[in-house]
Amino acid sequence: MNIFIVEDDEKLRDELTDFLEAYGYDCQSSNEFENITKVILDTCPDLVLLDVNLPYDSGYDICKQIRKESNVPIIIVTSRNTDLDELKSMNIGADDFVTKPYNTQILLARIKARIKTNSDSEIVEYKGLKFYPERSQIIYNNIIDELTKNEMRILSTLISSRGKIVSRDDLMDALWQTDEFVDDNTLTVNVNRLRKKLESLGMIDFIITKRGQGYLV
Amino acid sequence: MRIRDFLKDKIIFLSFQLFLIVYIVVLLEVFKIDRRAAVFIGFTMILIDVVALVPEYYRKNKYYSSVYRKLNSMDKKQYIYSVLDEPFFKEEEILDDIVKQTTKAMNDEISFYKLKNEEYQEYVEMWIHEVKIPIACIDLICENNNSDVTKSIEEEIKKIDNYVEQALFFARSTNIENDYKIKNIVVSKLVKKVIKKYSKPLIAKKCKINIKDLDINVYTDDKWLEFIISQIISNSLKYSDKGFSLSFSGQANNNNFILKIKDDGIGIPKEDICRVFSKGFTGLNGRKFAKSTGMGLYLCKKLCDKLYLNIEIDSQINEYTEVAIIFPKDKSVVFDD
Repeated sequence: MNIFIVEDDEKLRDELTDFLEAYGYDCQSSNEFENITKVILDTCPDLVLLDVNLPYDSGYDICKQIRKESNVPIIIVTSRNTDLDELKSMNIGADDFVTKPYNTQILLARIKARIKTNSDSEIVEYKGLKFYPERSQIIYNNIIDELTKNEMRILSTLISSRGKIVSRDDLMDALWQTDEFVDDNTLTVNVNRLRKKLESLGMIDFIITKRGQGYLV
Repeated sequence: MRIRDFLKDKIIFLSFQLFLIVYIVVLLEVFKIDRRAAVFIGFTMILIDVVALVPEYYRKNKYYSSVYRKLNSMDKKQYIYSVLDEPFFKEEEILDDIVKQTTKAMNDEISFYKLKNEEYQEYVEMWIHEVKIPIACIDLICENNNSDVTKSIEEEIKKIDNYVEQALFFARSTNIENDYKIKNIVVSKLVKKVIKKYSKPLIAKKCKINIKDLDINVYTDDKWLEFIISQIISNSLKYSDKGFSLSFSGQANNNNFILKIKDDGIGIPKEDICRVFSKGFTGLNGRKFAKSTGMGLYLCKKLCDKLYLNIEIDSQINEYTEVAIIFPKDKSVVFDD
Protein backbone atom coordinates (compact mmCIF):
# COMPACT_ATOMS: atom_id res chain seq x y z
CA MET A 1 0.00 0.00 0.00
CA ASN A 2 1.38 3.29 -1.12
CA ILE A 3 0.62 6.50 0.76
CA PHE A 4 1.60 9.96 -0.45
CA ILE A 5 2.19 12.44 2.36
CA VAL A 6 1.74 16.10 1.52
CA GLU A 7 3.11 18.00 4.50
CA ASP A 8 5.44 21.00 4.49
CA ASP A 9 6.82 20.51 7.99
CA GLU A 10 9.82 18.36 7.20
CA LYS A 11 10.22 16.76 10.58
CA LEU A 12 6.57 15.91 10.89
CA ARG A 13 6.68 14.42 7.40
CA ASP A 14 9.66 12.22 8.27
CA GLU A 15 8.12 11.04 11.51
CA LEU A 16 4.85 10.32 9.81
CA THR A 17 6.70 8.33 7.15
CA ASP A 18 8.55 6.32 9.81
CA PHE A 19 5.36 5.70 11.68
CA LEU A 20 3.35 4.51 8.68
CA GLU A 21 6.22 2.42 7.34
CA ALA A 22 6.35 0.65 10.69
CA TYR A 23 2.78 -0.41 10.00
CA GLY A 24 3.66 -1.75 6.59
CA TYR A 25 2.72 1.15 4.35
CA ASP A 26 5.05 2.53 1.72
CA CYS A 27 5.26 6.28 1.96
CA GLN A 28 6.25 8.89 -0.53
CA SER A 29 6.46 12.62 -0.20
CA SER A 30 7.99 15.64 -1.81
CA ASN A 31 9.73 18.74 -0.61
CA GLU A 32 8.75 20.61 -3.72
CA PHE A 33 5.26 22.05 -3.62
CA GLU A 34 5.04 24.01 -6.83
CA ASN A 35 3.70 21.21 -9.00
CA ILE A 36 2.75 18.89 -6.19
CA THR A 37 -0.48 17.71 -7.83
CA LYS A 38 1.39 16.31 -10.81
CA VAL A 39 3.97 14.66 -8.56
CA ILE A 40 1.20 13.02 -6.52
CA LEU A 41 -0.63 11.73 -9.56
CA ASP A 42 2.57 10.43 -11.15
CA THR A 43 3.27 8.17 -8.19
CA CYS A 44 -0.23 6.62 -8.34
CA PRO A 45 -0.67 6.37 -4.56
CA ASP A 46 -3.36 4.27 -2.87
CA LEU A 47 -4.09 7.12 -0.51
CA VAL A 48 -3.11 10.77 -0.04
CA LEU A 49 -2.58 12.43 3.34
CA LEU A 50 -3.02 16.10 2.65
CA ASP A 51 -2.12 19.06 4.84
CA VAL A 52 -4.02 22.31 4.29
CA ASN A 53 -1.53 25.09 4.97
CA LEU A 54 1.06 24.64 2.28
CA PRO A 55 3.34 26.86 0.24
CA TYR A 56 1.94 27.69 -3.23
CA ASP A 57 -1.48 26.04 -3.43
CA SER A 58 -3.52 25.25 -0.34
CA GLY A 59 -4.47 21.68 0.44
CA TYR A 60 -8.01 22.42 -0.69
CA ASP A 61 -6.84 23.49 -4.13
CA ILE A 62 -4.64 20.43 -4.44
CA CYS A 63 -7.55 18.24 -3.41
CA LYS A 64 -9.73 19.78 -6.11
CA GLN A 65 -7.03 19.31 -8.74
CA ILE A 66 -6.51 15.67 -7.78
CA ARG A 67 -10.24 15.03 -7.91
CA LYS A 68 -10.34 16.18 -11.53
CA GLU A 69 -8.03 13.33 -12.49
CA SER A 70 -8.30 10.60 -9.90
CA ASN A 71 -10.51 8.93 -7.35
CA VAL A 72 -7.69 8.14 -4.95
CA PRO A 73 -8.82 8.38 -1.31
CA ILE A 74 -7.77 11.70 0.23
CA ILE A 75 -7.56 12.31 3.96
CA ILE A 76 -7.21 15.96 4.88
CA VAL A 77 -4.96 16.41 7.90
CA THR A 78 -5.08 19.83 9.47
CA SER A 79 -4.69 21.67 12.72
CA ARG A 80 -7.72 23.82 11.94
CA ASN A 81 -10.74 22.12 13.39
CA THR A 82 -13.70 24.38 12.73
CA ASP A 83 -16.87 23.07 11.16
CA LEU A 84 -16.19 25.22 8.19
CA ASP A 85 -12.89 23.47 7.51
CA GLU A 86 -14.50 20.08 7.81
CA LEU A 87 -17.40 21.02 5.60
CA LYS A 88 -15.08 22.51 3.01
CA SER A 89 -12.95 19.36 2.96
CA MET A 90 -15.98 17.17 2.34
CA ASN A 91 -17.36 19.50 -0.31
CA ILE A 92 -14.26 19.41 -2.43
CA GLY A 93 -14.20 15.64 -2.49
CA ALA A 94 -11.93 14.67 0.39
CA ASP A 95 -12.84 11.33 1.91
CA ASP A 96 -11.95 12.05 5.50
CA PHE A 97 -10.80 14.78 7.84
CA VAL A 98 -8.36 14.29 10.73
CA THR A 99 -7.16 17.04 13.03
CA LYS A 100 -3.65 17.51 14.36
CA PRO A 101 -2.30 16.37 16.71
CA TYR A 102 -3.70 13.04 15.66
CA ASN A 103 -4.15 10.10 17.88
CA THR A 104 -2.02 7.72 15.81
CA GLN A 105 -4.41 4.82 16.32
CA ILE A 106 -7.24 6.95 14.99
CA LEU A 107 -5.18 7.98 12.01
CA LEU A 108 -4.30 4.35 11.29
CA ALA A 109 -7.92 3.30 11.60
CA ARG A 110 -9.01 6.01 9.17
CA ILE A 111 -6.30 5.10 6.67
CA LYS A 112 -7.24 1.45 6.93
CA ALA A 113 -10.92 2.21 6.45
CA ARG A 114 -10.24 4.31 3.34
CA ILE A 115 -7.85 1.89 1.70
CA LYS A 116 -10.16 -1.00 2.42
CA THR A 117 -13.17 0.61 0.81
CA ASN A 118 -11.15 1.25 -2.31
CA SER A 119 -9.57 -2.16 -2.77
CA ASP A 120 -10.29 -5.80 -2.07
CA SER A 121 -9.78 -7.20 1.35
CA GLU A 122 -6.25 -8.03 2.27
CA ILE A 123 -5.09 -11.50 3.22
CA VAL A 124 -2.20 -11.56 5.59
CA GLU A 125 0.05 -14.57 5.80
CA TYR A 126 2.57 -14.95 8.59
CA LYS A 127 4.45 -18.05 9.67
CA GLY A 128 2.02 -20.19 7.72
CA LEU A 129 -1.02 -18.60 9.31
CA LYS A 130 -3.46 -17.11 6.83
CA PHE A 131 -5.49 -14.30 8.26
CA TYR A 132 -8.66 -12.93 6.63
CA PRO A 133 -9.59 -9.76 8.51
CA GLU A 134 -12.70 -9.24 6.36
CA ARG A 135 -14.21 -12.60 7.24
CA SER A 136 -12.55 -12.71 10.70
CA GLN A 137 -11.16 -16.16 9.90
CA ILE A 138 -7.77 -17.73 10.35
CA ILE A 139 -6.50 -20.73 8.41
CA TYR A 140 -3.58 -22.89 9.43
CA ASN A 141 -2.82 -26.27 7.83
CA ASN A 142 -6.14 -25.95 5.99
CA ILE A 143 -8.10 -25.80 9.23
CA ILE A 144 -10.40 -22.82 9.51
CA ASP A 145 -11.31 -21.12 12.75
CA GLU A 146 -13.46 -18.09 13.44
CA LEU A 147 -12.28 -15.22 15.59
CA THR A 148 -14.32 -12.77 17.63
CA LYS A 149 -14.03 -9.08 16.87
CA ASN A 150 -11.64 -8.48 19.76
CA GLU A 151 -9.45 -11.49 19.00
CA MET A 152 -9.24 -10.42 15.39
CA ARG A 153 -8.24 -6.92 16.36
CA ILE A 154 -5.56 -8.21 18.73
CA LEU A 155 -4.16 -10.57 16.12
CA SER A 156 -4.11 -7.94 13.39
CA THR A 157 -2.39 -5.45 15.67
CA LEU A 158 0.25 -8.00 16.63
CA ILE A 159 0.81 -9.09 13.05
CA SER A 160 1.00 -5.57 11.67
CA SER A 161 3.94 -4.88 13.98
CA ARG A 162 5.41 -8.38 13.63
CA GLY A 163 8.84 -8.92 15.11
CA LYS A 164 8.29 -6.09 17.56
CA ILE A 165 6.94 -6.13 21.09
CA VAL A 166 3.48 -4.65 21.39
CA SER A 167 2.72 -3.40 24.88
CA ARG A 168 -0.52 -4.28 26.59
CA ASP A 169 -1.43 -0.61 26.63
CA ASP A 170 -0.99 -0.36 22.87
CA LEU A 171 -3.11 -3.47 22.35
CA MET A 172 -5.79 -1.99 24.55
CA ASP A 173 -5.61 1.27 22.63
CA ALA A 174 -6.11 -0.65 19.39
CA LEU A 175 -9.20 -2.29 20.88
CA TRP A 176 -10.48 1.01 22.24
CA GLN A 177 -10.32 2.49 18.76
CA THR A 178 -12.96 -0.05 17.70
CA ASP A 179 -15.23 1.15 20.52
CA GLU A 180 -14.35 -1.83 22.69
CA PHE A 181 -13.31 -0.13 25.92
CA VAL A 182 -11.89 -3.24 27.52
CA ASP A 183 -10.01 -3.22 30.81
CA ASP A 184 -6.88 -5.08 31.83
CA ASN A 185 -8.64 -8.31 32.79
CA THR A 186 -10.70 -8.50 29.62
CA LEU A 187 -7.56 -8.06 27.55
CA THR A 188 -5.89 -10.96 29.36
CA VAL A 189 -8.96 -13.12 28.79
CA ASN A 190 -9.07 -12.18 25.11
CA VAL A 191 -5.39 -12.87 24.56
CA ASN A 192 -5.66 -16.22 26.33
CA ARG A 193 -8.66 -17.22 24.25
CA LEU A 194 -6.87 -16.24 21.07
CA ARG A 195 -3.88 -18.30 22.20
CA LYS A 196 -6.07 -21.34 22.82
CA LYS A 197 -7.61 -21.01 19.38
CA LEU A 198 -4.18 -20.80 17.79
CA GLU A 199 -2.99 -23.75 19.83
CA SER A 200 -5.97 -25.85 18.80
CA LEU A 201 -4.91 -25.18 15.20
CA GLY A 202 -1.46 -26.41 16.07
CA MET A 203 0.29 -23.08 16.48
CA ILE A 204 1.97 -23.32 19.83
CA ASP A 205 3.73 -20.24 21.17
CA PHE A 206 2.62 -18.09 18.26
CA ILE A 207 2.12 -15.20 20.68
CA ILE A 208 5.09 -14.82 23.01
CA THR A 209 4.64 -13.00 26.30
CA LYS A 210 7.42 -10.62 27.23
CA ARG A 211 7.11 -10.06 30.92
CA GLY A 212 6.44 -6.47 31.83
CA GLN A 213 6.70 -5.40 28.21
CA GLY A 214 3.93 -6.96 26.21
CA TYR A 215 3.40 -9.48 23.46
CA LEU A 216 5.34 -10.48 20.38
CA VAL A 217 4.59 -12.51 17.29
CA MET B 1 -38.76 67.16 36.50
CA ARG B 2 -40.60 68.30 39.55
CA ILE B 3 -42.14 71.80 39.72
CA ARG B 4 -40.02 72.60 42.75
CA ASP B 5 -36.83 71.78 40.85
CA PHE B 6 -37.99 73.84 37.92
CA LEU B 7 -38.73 76.84 40.13
CA LYS B 8 -35.45 76.40 41.97
CA ASP B 9 -33.72 76.70 38.60
CA LYS B 10 -35.59 79.96 37.99
CA ILE B 11 -34.84 81.36 41.47
CA ILE B 12 -32.79 84.35 40.25
CA PHE B 13 -35.32 85.30 37.63
CA LEU B 14 -38.18 84.95 40.11
CA SER B 15 -36.37 86.96 42.80
CA PHE B 16 -35.73 89.80 40.39
CA GLN B 17 -39.32 89.61 39.28
CA LEU B 18 -40.48 89.84 42.90
CA PHE B 19 -38.08 92.66 43.56
CA LEU B 20 -39.42 94.45 40.48
CA ILE B 21 -43.02 94.10 41.64
CA VAL B 22 -42.18 95.35 45.12
CA TYR B 23 -40.14 98.19 43.59
CA ILE B 24 -42.98 99.26 41.27
CA VAL B 25 -45.56 99.03 44.06
CA VAL B 26 -43.36 101.12 46.34
CA LEU B 27 -42.70 103.61 43.54
CA LEU B 28 -46.42 104.01 42.80
CA GLU B 29 -47.02 104.48 46.52
CA VAL B 30 -44.35 107.20 46.63
CA PHE B 31 -45.91 109.00 43.67
CA LYS B 32 -49.28 108.75 45.41
CA ILE B 33 -50.93 106.97 42.52
CA ASP B 34 -54.14 105.10 43.19
CA ARG B 35 -53.45 101.82 45.05
CA ARG B 36 -55.64 99.87 42.63
CA ALA B 37 -53.17 100.63 39.87
CA ALA B 38 -50.39 99.10 41.95
CA VAL B 39 -52.47 96.00 42.59
CA PHE B 40 -53.38 95.78 38.92
CA ILE B 41 -49.82 96.14 37.68
CA GLY B 42 -48.58 93.65 40.27
CA PHE B 43 -51.13 91.02 39.29
CA THR B 44 -50.54 91.59 35.60
CA MET B 45 -46.85 90.97 36.06
CA ILE B 46 -47.46 87.79 38.03
CA LEU B 47 -49.92 86.62 35.41
CA ILE B 48 -47.40 87.25 32.63
CA ASP B 49 -44.77 85.26 34.52
CA VAL B 50 -47.13 82.37 35.06
CA VAL B 51 -48.27 82.37 31.44
CA ALA B 52 -44.64 82.35 30.32
CA LEU B 53 -43.40 79.71 32.75
CA VAL B 54 -46.18 77.13 32.59
CA PRO B 55 -45.67 76.14 28.93
CA GLU B 56 -41.91 76.13 29.45
CA TYR B 57 -42.27 73.80 32.41
CA TYR B 58 -44.72 71.65 30.51
CA ARG B 59 -42.38 71.23 27.52
CA LYS B 60 -39.26 70.60 29.55
CA ASN B 61 -41.05 68.16 31.81
CA LYS B 62 -42.42 66.31 28.82
CA TYR B 63 -39.02 66.14 27.13
CA TYR B 64 -36.99 65.02 30.13
CA SER B 65 -39.53 62.52 31.41
CA SER B 66 -39.68 60.98 27.98
CA VAL B 67 -35.87 60.74 27.96
CA TYR B 68 -35.92 59.08 31.37
CA ARG B 69 -38.75 56.75 30.46
CA LYS B 70 -36.88 55.59 27.39
CA LEU B 71 -33.63 55.27 29.30
CA ASN B 72 -35.28 53.14 31.98
CA SER B 73 -36.93 50.85 29.50
CA MET B 74 -33.69 50.30 27.60
CA ASP B 75 -31.50 47.25 28.00
CA LYS B 76 -28.46 48.88 26.48
CA LYS B 77 -28.60 52.43 27.77
CA GLN B 78 -25.64 53.49 25.69
CA TYR B 79 -27.85 53.61 22.62
CA ILE B 80 -30.10 56.36 24.08
CA TYR B 81 -29.15 58.80 21.32
CA SER B 82 -30.90 56.78 18.65
CA VAL B 83 -34.27 57.16 20.44
CA LEU B 84 -34.04 60.77 21.60
CA ASP B 85 -36.86 63.12 20.52
CA GLU B 86 -36.19 66.07 18.27
CA PRO B 87 -34.92 68.88 20.55
CA PHE B 88 -37.08 72.01 20.87
CA PHE B 89 -35.38 74.31 23.33
CA LYS B 90 -31.77 75.35 23.07
CA GLU B 91 -31.16 73.51 26.35
CA GLU B 92 -32.45 70.27 24.86
CA GLU B 93 -30.36 70.84 21.80
CA ILE B 94 -27.28 71.06 23.99
CA LEU B 95 -28.15 67.82 25.76
CA ASP B 96 -28.85 66.23 22.41
CA ASP B 97 -25.48 67.34 21.11
CA ILE B 98 -23.62 66.11 24.20
CA VAL B 99 -25.25 62.71 24.01
CA LYS B 100 -24.54 62.54 20.31
CA GLN B 101 -20.87 63.33 20.77
CA THR B 102 -20.36 60.98 23.70
CA THR B 103 -22.19 58.21 21.86
CA LYS B 104 -19.93 58.65 18.90
CA ALA B 105 -16.86 58.69 21.11
CA MET B 106 -18.05 55.53 22.83
CA ASN B 107 -18.75 53.81 19.52
CA ASP B 108 -15.28 54.67 18.30
CA GLU B 109 -13.81 53.31 21.51
CA ILE B 110 -15.85 50.13 21.26
CA SER B 111 -14.93 49.49 17.66
CA PHE B 112 -11.29 50.11 18.54
CA TYR B 113 -11.44 47.44 21.23
CA LYS B 114 -13.51 45.16 19.05
CA LEU B 115 -10.88 45.33 16.38
CA LYS B 116 -8.12 44.77 18.92
CA ASN B 117 -10.03 41.87 20.38
CA GLU B 118 -10.63 40.38 16.96
CA GLU B 119 -6.98 40.76 16.10
CA TYR B 120 -5.97 39.12 19.32
CA GLN B 121 -8.43 36.32 18.84
CA GLU B 122 -7.23 35.75 15.31
CA TYR B 123 -3.71 35.63 16.59
CA VAL B 124 -4.60 33.17 19.35
CA GLU B 125 -6.39 30.90 16.88
CA MET B 126 -3.51 31.05 14.46
CA TRP B 127 -0.99 30.44 17.21
CA ILE B 128 -2.96 27.44 18.42
CA HIS B 129 -3.02 25.94 14.95
CA GLU B 130 0.69 26.53 14.59
CA VAL B 131 1.59 25.05 17.95
CA LYS B 132 -0.39 21.93 17.13
CA ILE B 133 2.13 21.04 14.45
CA PRO B 134 5.09 20.62 16.82
CA ILE B 135 2.75 18.87 19.26
CA ALA B 136 1.78 16.42 16.53
CA CYS B 137 5.44 16.04 15.68
CA ILE B 138 6.52 15.28 19.25
CA ASP B 139 3.64 12.86 19.52
CA LEU B 140 4.83 10.98 16.44
CA ILE B 141 8.47 10.98 17.54
CA CYS B 142 7.34 9.38 20.79
CA GLU B 143 5.24 6.88 18.90
CA ASN B 144 8.15 5.98 16.63
CA ASN B 145 10.58 5.58 19.51
CA ASN B 146 8.39 3.66 21.86
CA SER B 147 9.86 3.40 25.35
CA ASP B 148 8.89 4.22 28.90
CA VAL B 149 10.48 7.64 28.53
CA THR B 150 8.55 8.55 25.38
CA LYS B 151 5.35 7.16 26.92
CA SER B 152 5.83 9.58 29.75
CA ILE B 153 6.56 12.44 27.36
CA GLU B 154 3.46 11.50 25.42
CA GLU B 155 1.35 11.84 28.55
CA GLU B 156 2.77 15.30 29.18
CA ILE B 157 2.20 16.31 25.58
CA LYS B 158 -1.41 15.25 25.94
CA LYS B 159 -1.68 17.67 28.84
CA ILE B 160 -0.18 20.47 26.77
CA ASP B 161 -2.64 19.69 24.02
CA ASN B 162 -5.46 19.90 26.51
CA TYR B 163 -4.33 23.33 27.72
CA VAL B 164 -3.96 24.51 24.15
CA GLU B 165 -7.47 23.34 23.43
CA GLN B 166 -8.68 25.24 26.50
CA ALA B 167 -7.10 28.42 25.17
CA LEU B 168 -8.76 27.90 21.81
CA PHE B 169 -12.19 27.50 23.32
CA PHE B 170 -11.63 30.37 25.71
CA ALA B 171 -10.85 32.58 22.73
CA ARG B 172 -13.95 31.28 20.99
CA SER B 173 -16.19 31.66 24.02
CA THR B 174 -15.33 35.35 24.39
CA ASN B 175 -16.25 35.95 20.81
CA ILE B 176 -19.19 38.29 20.50
CA GLU B 177 -20.65 36.28 17.65
CA ASN B 178 -21.41 32.72 18.52
CA ASP B 179 -19.62 30.60 15.99
CA TYR B 180 -21.33 27.38 16.88
CA LYS B 181 -23.64 25.26 14.81
CA ILE B 182 -26.49 23.30 16.27
CA LYS B 183 -26.68 19.82 14.86
CA ASN B 184 -28.36 16.55 15.61
CA ILE B 185 -25.85 14.51 17.56
CA VAL B 186 -25.86 10.93 18.80
CA VAL B 187 -24.51 11.19 22.34
CA SER B 188 -22.89 7.75 22.42
CA LYS B 189 -20.93 8.47 19.26
CA LEU B 190 -19.53 11.69 20.62
CA VAL B 191 -18.71 10.22 24.02
CA LYS B 192 -16.86 7.34 22.38
CA LYS B 193 -14.96 9.78 20.20
CA VAL B 194 -13.73 11.69 23.25
CA ILE B 195 -12.81 8.49 25.10
CA LYS B 196 -10.77 7.42 22.09
CA LYS B 197 -9.07 10.79 22.07
CA TYR B 198 -8.05 10.23 25.66
CA SER B 199 -7.37 6.51 25.22
CA LYS B 200 -3.66 6.69 26.02
CA PRO B 201 -3.79 8.52 29.38
CA LEU B 202 -6.92 6.58 30.35
CA ILE B 203 -5.28 3.24 29.59
CA ALA B 204 -2.10 4.32 31.34
CA LYS B 205 -4.21 4.96 34.46
CA LYS B 206 -5.92 1.56 34.07
CA CYS B 207 -9.29 3.22 33.78
CA LYS B 208 -12.44 1.09 33.56
CA ILE B 209 -15.00 2.55 31.19
CA ASN B 210 -18.74 1.98 31.51
CA ILE B 211 -21.21 3.23 28.94
CA LYS B 212 -24.94 2.94 29.49
CA ASP B 213 -28.08 4.21 27.74
CA LEU B 214 -26.43 6.80 25.54
CA ASP B 215 -28.12 6.00 22.24
CA ILE B 216 -30.03 9.21 22.08
CA ASN B 217 -30.02 12.24 19.83
CA VAL B 218 -29.57 15.76 21.13
CA TYR B 219 -29.37 19.11 19.40
CA THR B 220 -26.17 20.98 20.11
CA ASP B 221 -22.77 21.89 18.71
CA ASP B 222 -20.60 18.79 18.49
CA LYS B 223 -17.21 20.52 18.76
CA TRP B 224 -18.20 22.46 21.85
CA LEU B 225 -19.78 19.47 23.52
CA GLU B 226 -16.71 17.44 22.65
CA PHE B 227 -14.59 20.04 24.39
CA ILE B 228 -16.86 20.06 27.46
CA ILE B 229 -16.71 16.27 27.79
CA SER B 230 -12.93 16.39 27.21
CA GLN B 231 -12.51 18.79 30.12
CA ILE B 232 -14.57 16.57 32.40
CA ILE B 233 -12.56 13.47 31.45
CA SER B 234 -9.35 15.41 31.86
CA ASN B 235 -10.45 16.42 35.37
CA SER B 236 -11.29 12.83 36.25
CA LEU B 237 -7.84 11.81 35.04
CA LYS B 238 -6.22 14.46 37.20
CA TYR B 239 -8.10 13.70 40.38
CA SER B 240 -8.31 9.92 40.37
CA ASP B 241 -5.97 7.16 41.37
CA LYS B 242 -4.82 4.29 39.18
CA GLY B 243 -7.54 1.78 38.39
CA PHE B 244 -10.39 4.27 38.72
CA SER B 245 -13.61 3.79 36.87
CA LEU B 246 -15.37 6.27 34.65
CA SER B 247 -18.98 5.79 33.73
CA PHE B 248 -21.10 7.57 31.17
CA SER B 249 -24.82 7.10 31.50
CA GLY B 250 -27.88 8.67 30.00
CA GLN B 251 -31.22 9.44 31.53
CA ALA B 252 -34.11 10.43 29.32
CA ASN B 253 -36.83 12.40 31.06
CA ASN B 254 -40.03 13.97 29.78
CA ASN B 255 -38.54 17.32 28.97
CA ASN B 256 -34.81 16.74 29.01
CA PHE B 257 -31.98 14.32 28.56
CA ILE B 258 -29.21 14.06 31.15
CA LEU B 259 -25.71 12.87 30.37
CA LYS B 260 -23.98 11.83 33.57
CA ILE B 261 -20.23 11.41 33.78
CA LYS B 262 -19.15 9.87 37.03
CA ASP B 263 -15.76 8.86 38.37
CA ASP B 264 -14.78 7.26 41.66
CA GLY B 265 -11.93 9.65 42.28
CA ILE B 266 -11.08 11.82 45.24
CA GLY B 267 -14.27 13.87 45.08
CA ILE B 268 -14.78 17.55 45.86
CA PRO B 269 -15.25 18.94 49.40
CA LYS B 270 -18.75 20.23 50.18
CA GLU B 271 -17.58 23.79 50.72
CA ASP B 272 -15.95 23.92 47.29
CA ILE B 273 -18.66 22.37 45.19
CA CYS B 274 -20.77 25.48 44.63
CA ARG B 275 -17.78 27.40 43.37
CA VAL B 276 -16.19 24.92 40.95
CA PHE B 277 -17.65 26.72 37.94
CA SER B 278 -16.17 30.08 38.96
CA LYS B 279 -13.28 31.43 36.98
CA GLY B 280 -9.91 30.69 38.52
CA PHE B 281 -11.37 28.70 41.39
CA THR B 282 -9.07 25.83 42.31
CA GLY B 283 -10.35 24.73 45.69
CA LEU B 284 -8.76 22.29 48.08
CA ASN B 285 -8.02 19.69 45.39
CA GLY B 286 -6.47 22.25 43.12
CA ARG B 287 -4.16 23.43 45.87
CA LYS B 288 -3.32 19.91 46.99
CA PHE B 289 -2.48 18.74 43.49
CA ALA B 290 -1.11 22.06 42.31
CA LYS B 291 -2.06 21.47 38.72
CA SER B 292 -5.38 23.17 38.58
CA THR B 293 -5.90 26.38 36.65
CA GLY B 294 -9.53 26.78 37.56
CA MET B 295 -10.32 27.30 33.90
CA GLY B 296 -11.66 23.93 32.75
CA LEU B 297 -15.01 23.85 34.46
CA TYR B 298 -15.41 27.61 34.18
CA LEU B 299 -15.16 27.26 30.41
CA CYS B 300 -17.52 24.27 30.44
CA LYS B 301 -20.11 26.35 32.25
CA LYS B 302 -19.63 29.28 29.91
CA LEU B 303 -20.00 27.15 26.79
CA CYS B 304 -22.99 25.32 28.28
CA ASP B 305 -24.67 28.67 28.94
CA LYS B 306 -24.16 29.68 25.33
CA LEU B 307 -25.53 26.36 24.12
CA TYR B 308 -28.54 26.56 26.50
CA LEU B 309 -27.40 23.44 28.33
CA ASN B 310 -27.35 23.03 32.07
CA ILE B 311 -24.35 21.65 33.84
CA GLU B 312 -24.41 20.44 37.41
CA ILE B 313 -21.90 18.77 39.64
CA ASP B 314 -22.37 16.47 42.58
CA SER B 315 -19.70 14.84 44.68
CA GLN B 316 -18.95 12.95 47.83
CA ILE B 317 -15.44 13.29 49.12
CA ASN B 318 -13.33 10.15 48.58
CA GLU B 319 -16.33 8.53 46.88
CA TYR B 320 -17.27 10.01 43.56
CA THR B 321 -17.70 13.08 41.38
CA GLU B 322 -20.60 13.23 38.98
CA VAL B 323 -21.05 15.88 36.33
CA ALA B 324 -24.46 16.08 34.70
CA ILE B 325 -25.04 17.83 31.40
CA ILE B 326 -28.71 18.51 30.85
CA PHE B 327 -30.03 18.86 27.31
CA PRO B 328 -33.49 20.39 26.91
CA LYS B 329 -35.80 18.28 24.77
CA ASP B 330 -37.56 21.29 23.40
CA LYS B 331 -35.57 22.19 20.31
CA SER B 332 -36.94 25.73 20.19
CA VAL B 333 -34.91 26.58 23.30
CA VAL B 334 -31.74 25.87 21.38
CA PHE B 335 -32.72 27.40 18.11
CA ASP B 336 -33.99 30.64 19.64
CA ASP B 337 -32.03 33.86 19.07
